[in-house]
Amino acid sequence: MTMNKKVAIVPCSGIGKPYGTVSRVAAYQVTEDDRAQDTCLVPLALLVLGDEETRQALANNPAVTIDGCKLACATKMVQECGGKVAQEFAVLDIYRRYREFKPQGIAELNEGGEKLAQVLAVEIDRVVDELTGKGGQNA
Amino acid sequence: MPDYLETTVDKFLFRVATDRSYNAVGIWAKADGNLIRIGLSDYLQQRSGDIAFVEVKPSGSVLAAEDEVASIETIKVNISLPCPVAGKIVRVNPEMETAPEKINQDPFGEGWLCEIEASDWERDQAGLMDAPAYFARMKQEAEEEAKKL
Repeated sequence: MTMNKKVAIVPCSGIGKPYGTVSRVAAYQVTEDDRAQDTCLVPLALLVLGDEETRQALANNPAVTIDGCKLACATKMVQECGGKVAQEFAVLDIYRRYREFKPQGIAELNEGGEKLAQVLAVEIDRVVDELTGKGGQNA
Repeated sequence: MPDYLETTVDKFLFRVATDRSYNAVGIWAKADGNLIRIGLSDYLQQRSGDIAFVEVKPSGSVLAAEDEVASIETIKVNISLPCPVAGKIVRVNPEMETAPEKINQDPFGEGWLCEIEASDWERDQAGLMDAPAYFARMKQEAEEEAKKL
C-alpha cells in the first residue's frame, strides 16, 4: 500500500452490525469516488496485525477515523500506532442528526443506511478538503 | 457516590448500586422522601447497547406502575421501559434530549431518566427487588446470555 501525503481514512472493522457497515460504505465512497486522489483506505486489520508500511504511512499522514460504536477501535488503534487523528467520526453521532436515516442490514444496508453513509461521506469529504487545502477546488 | 456490587461475566463488568430498588427489567428507583428518581441499571444499558434516542413521558404525566415511562432506541434494539413506581412525573432529565449517551456513561448518576412524585411508594417498593436480589437475578441472566455466545 502506498500513501504519499494522502489522508488516511480508517473505518470501523466491526462485522455484524449496521453501524460498522455504514462506516465502511462511507469510507469507500470517499476513497474510491469522492476524494480518490487525496485519500487512502486503511483497513483496521492491518494496524492490528502491525503491518509496518501501514504504520509508517499513518505516522506521516493525517488520519480520519470512523467508529461504529463507543469502543472507538478505529480511533484508539490509530492513536496506539502513533498516528495523528485529524478528525474522528462516530456513526451514532451522525445518526442522531439524521434520525430519518435509520440504518438496518449488515451485508447490504437498507435505504436509510445508504443515505446515512452518504451524508457521513460528505462530512468526511469536507474534512479531507480542509486537510489537503483543496476546499475551493472541490466545493 | 453509592456503593456497588460488582461481577464480571465473560469480558463484561456489571455493577449494581446498593442504594436503590430495581424492577425485573432493570429499571432502578431511588427515593428521596416521596420523590422517586428512576433510571436504567448498568446491566440493562450494557445489554441494550449505545443509545441513540430516549423519549421520556413529559412532566405532568400520571403513570401506574408498569406503564411505559420511556422508550429508548439503541444501535441494537428499541425498548419500552416500564415504570417501577406509580405517580406523576415532575421532572425529566434535560440531558435525555441532548445527551442520551449519559445513560451509557453514567447509568446510576447523570443518566437518570425522570423524577416521579409517588402515589404510594411503600406499596410499590414492596414489589421491587433490593440490590442483592437484583444482583443475583442480573448475574444469572448475564451468565445465561454469555453461554449463548
